[in-house]
Amino acid sequence: MSFVLPGNQIQVKSANVVLGPNVDIAPGSINETVLTPTTAGMLKVKKANPQSSLYYVESNTKRYVPQINDFVIGVLFGAFGEYFRISLNSFSPPVLLNQYSFPNASKKNRPRLSNGDLVYARVSAVERNVDVELSCIDATTGKEGGFGVLSDGLVFDVKLAFARYLLFNSDAEIFTQLVKRCKFEIAIGVNGRIWIKTDDIKTTIACVNVIRNSQNWTKEELPAKIEDTFKVLKTN
Amino acid sequence: MGLDYDISTNEQNFVLEALKQDVRLDGRKLNEMREVNIKILPSEYGHVEVSLGRTRVGCKVSSEIVKPYEDRPFEGIFMINSEISPMCSPFFEVGAGGSGYGVGSNSSQANEEVLISRMIEKAVRRSNALDVESLCIVAGKKCWAIRADLQFLNYDGNFVDASCIAVMSALLHFRKPDIEVAGEDVVVYDTNQREPVPLSILHIPISITFNYFNPNGSEENIKGDLNNELILVDADLLEERLSLGSMTITLNKNQEICQMMKSGGLNIDASLIMNCCSYASKLVDELTEKIHNVLKQDAAVRTNKTEEKELRVFNER
Amino acid sequence: MSRFELYSPEGIRIDGRRWNELRQFHCQTNTHPNASDGSSYVRQGNSEVICLVKGPMDTTYGSSSTKQLPDSPVLSISINHPAFATMERKKRPRNDKRLTELSIILKRCFLKTIVLHNFARSLIEVTVTVLSFDGGLLATCCNAITLALIDAGISLYDYVSAVTVGLYDQTALLDLNSLEEIDLSFITIGVVGDSDKLNLILCEDRLPLDKLERLISLGIEGCHRLKGLMNDTVRQVGADLLSKKQ
Repeated sequence: MSFVLPGNQIQVKSANVVLGPNVDIAPGSINETVLTPTTAGMLKVKKANPQSSLYYVESNTKRYVPQINDFVIGVLFGAFGEYFRISLNSFSPPVLLNQYSFPNASKKNRPRLSNGDLVYARVSAVERNVDVELSCIDATTGKEGGFGVLSDGLVFDVKLAFARYLLFNSDAEIFTQLVKRCKFEIAIGVNGRIWIKTDDIKTTIACVNVIRNSQNWTKEELPAKIEDTFKVLKTN
Repeated sequence: MGLDYDISTNEQNFVLEALKQDVRLDGRKLNEMREVNIKILPSEYGHVEVSLGRTRVGCKVSSEIVKPYEDRPFEGIFMINSEISPMCSPFFEVGAGGSGYGVGSNSSQANEEVLISRMIEKAVRRSNALDVESLCIVAGKKCWAIRADLQFLNYDGNFVDASCIAVMSALLHFRKPDIEVAGEDVVVYDTNQREPVPLSILHIPISITFNYFNPNGSEENIKGDLNNELILVDADLLEERLSLGSMTITLNKNQEICQMMKSGGLNIDASLIMNCCSYASKLVDELTEKIHNVLKQDAAVRTNKTEEKELRVFNER
Repeated sequence: MSRFELYSPEGIRIDGRRWNELRQFHCQTNTHPNASDGSSYVRQGNSEVICLVKGPMDTTYGSSSTKQLPDSPVLSISINHPAFATMERKKRPRNDKRLTELSIILKRCFLKTIVLHNFARSLIEVTVTVLSFDGGLLATCCNAITLALIDAGISLYDYVSAVTVGLYDQTALLDLNSLEEIDLSFITIGVVGDSDKLNLILCEDRLPLDKLERLISLGIEGCHRLKGLMNDTVRQVGADLLSKKQ
C-alpha cells in the first residue's frame, strides 16, 4: 500500500492484472506492465483470483458517482409513470427506481411509498446517456436482501471513503465499541449516507455524533471519545 | 439547476421528536446558541471573520473619498454588499438575488437572499448604527464612502445573525486614515504617518433569529389555544429547512428594537413573541460584551506591535 | 420637529382621529369579475389598493422554470406601485428590493393561511396594484389579498387582517397615514382571525423594546376590528348573491 498521484508509474510484474477503480494502463506501456493511477490516493493490491491480482486506488471524492452494484441510500421525491425519482445526493440530478423492482411487486401490488421516504437500494444499471437505475431486489437471490424503505431513525452524511470503509468492514473498531453501548440498526450507503435507528432519541443522536466524528479520531482515543459523547447527552 | 437539499421524512420526524424532548442534533438545548467565534485578521483594520458553529461569514470594511449624493450633501456614504455566492453552498446561485431578478419570482433561494440582505441593511444601515454625518469632509464636495463587503464562506443556517455580528465588529475595528482639511483641499495621511481614526458608531445592533416548530399539526396552530409551539434559537441548516417559520429581531444594548421581522410561518401568540424578545435582549447583551472583549484583546496586541516598532526604529538610530 | 403637530395635547392626530381610531375603511369584493377569478378593492383612509387573483390553475401556465415540490401549490404575489400612487411622481426601478421583500413577506404569510392540501399542483397568482398610497402599504395589501382570495373561492383557514401601529412619545397610535409614518417608528402587524396569534410582524425603525407589548396589543385590537369590517362586507355580498338566486 502506498500513496500515489496521477502521473506516477506502477511497475507490475505479472501479466495477469485486473484494473480496479482509478487505475489505468500507462500510455505507451508495452505488454500492459506499467500502470498509472487516475486520482490521488492509496494504491491497493488484492488477489482477485489465484492467477491475477487487482490493482485499485482508494481515494476520497466528494460527489458520489453511481457505479453498478453499489449499495446506496436515497430520498424519494417524486414519481412519474412507473418510476420513482430518487435523490442520492443533495444538488445532483435524480436517479430512477422502477416501481416493479421491489420483491413481489406487480401491477396489482405496487409498493406504497410517499415523498421524503428513505430507500435502501442497489444500483442496477449505469449506462451512458441513460438515467441511472436502482433496484430493491437482491441480484443473486431475487429476494428482498435487506433493501427497501427505511422507516424512522435518522440519516446523516459522511465522507464517501469512510462510508465505503464501514460498509466493507463490519468489524470496524467503531462498531465493536458502539455495540457495547447500545442496540442499533444501521444501513450504510456508499453515496456517503448512513441511516441509524436505536430505541430512543438521545442514543440515536449520540450514535450519529460518534460515527460522524470518528472519521477524525484515532483508534486509541476512540473509547474515551465515545464515552464523552454519550455522557454529555445522558446528563443533558 | 434549481436543485435543493433533499431532506427525508425520517429526518423531519426525528428532529421534531428530539425537539419535543428538548434536545437538538448537535446536543444543544432549544434556547442555546452555537459557539460564536470572532476572529480579527491581523494584517489590516476592519477585516473580521465570524463563525457560528459551521456557518462562517467574513466582512471587510474599506473606505475611499468620493463626492456625496446630491440630495444629501452633509452625509457620507455607507453601503453593505451582501451578495451570497455559491461558495458557501450550492443552494445559492450566482446573481440570483441581484439585478437579474424580477419581482414576484418563485425561486426560494432568491427569496432567501433578498430577505437576508434586506434584514442586514435594515439592521445596520437604516438603524443608523454608523453615523454617516461624521463621514462628511467638505459639504457637497467630498465625503468618506464606507463599504462593508460581506463574504459568506460556509452555510449552516442563520446567516443573518452571523453577518450582523461580522459587520458590526468589522465596523468597530475599522480605522480610516487621518485627514486634514484646508479650505477645499484635503490631505490624507498615511497610516504610518498618523494614527488612523476609528469610525463613529452610535450603537451596536445584534440580530437574533428564532425558528418555530409545531408539535400539533397546522389545524391546532390556527384554531387551538394551546400555544405550545416549539421555539428555538440559532437554527442550523437542517433545522432552518424544516422549521415552519422564523422571526429575526435586531436589538441593541439600549433595549431598542432596530429591526424585527416575522414573515408568515406559524402563527405565534403575542405573549410568546414578547418572551422571545426579552430572551433575545439577554443574548444581545452577551454578544455585545463578547465583541468588545475581542476588540480589546486585538487592540492590546496591536499596541504592543506598534510600540515594538517604534522602539526598534529608535534603537536603529 | 415637523410643521405639523402629530398628536396634540388634547389627544387629536393631524387628521382629527383619536389614538385608537382606524381610518375610514371601505372594501369591496368581486370588483373585476371578467379580468380575474377573484378581485377586491380596499381603501384605508387615502390608501387604495386593488387586488386580482387568478387561480387555482394548472402550474404549467405559470413560470415553470423553478423546481417545486410536486404536491405543494405555487403562490406568486406581485406588487405594482405605479408612479402616480404617491405625491411625488418618482420613477421606481423595476426591481425595487423593497417591493420584492414585501411580496415575499406576503407570500409567506398566505402560504400558511391557505388550506394548502386542497390545491396540490396548482398555481395561484396574485397581483396587487396600489392606486394611491397614504401609509400602511403592507397592511392594506394584506387585507386586499385576503378579500380577493375569499372572492376567488380559495379555502383559507381564517381572515388575515393587518394594520400599522406607531409610537408617538409614550402613546401608541393606530393605523398611521403617510405623514405619521415618516416621522414615527411603527410596526405592521398581521393577525389570523379573532385569535391573539400573530402571522406577521415587520418593524423597520428603532423602537424601545418595552413599548413593543403596548403596540402589539393595540395592533391586535385594530386587526380584530378590521376583520369584523371585512367579514361584514363578505357576508353582505353572500347575502346579495343568495337573494338573486331565488
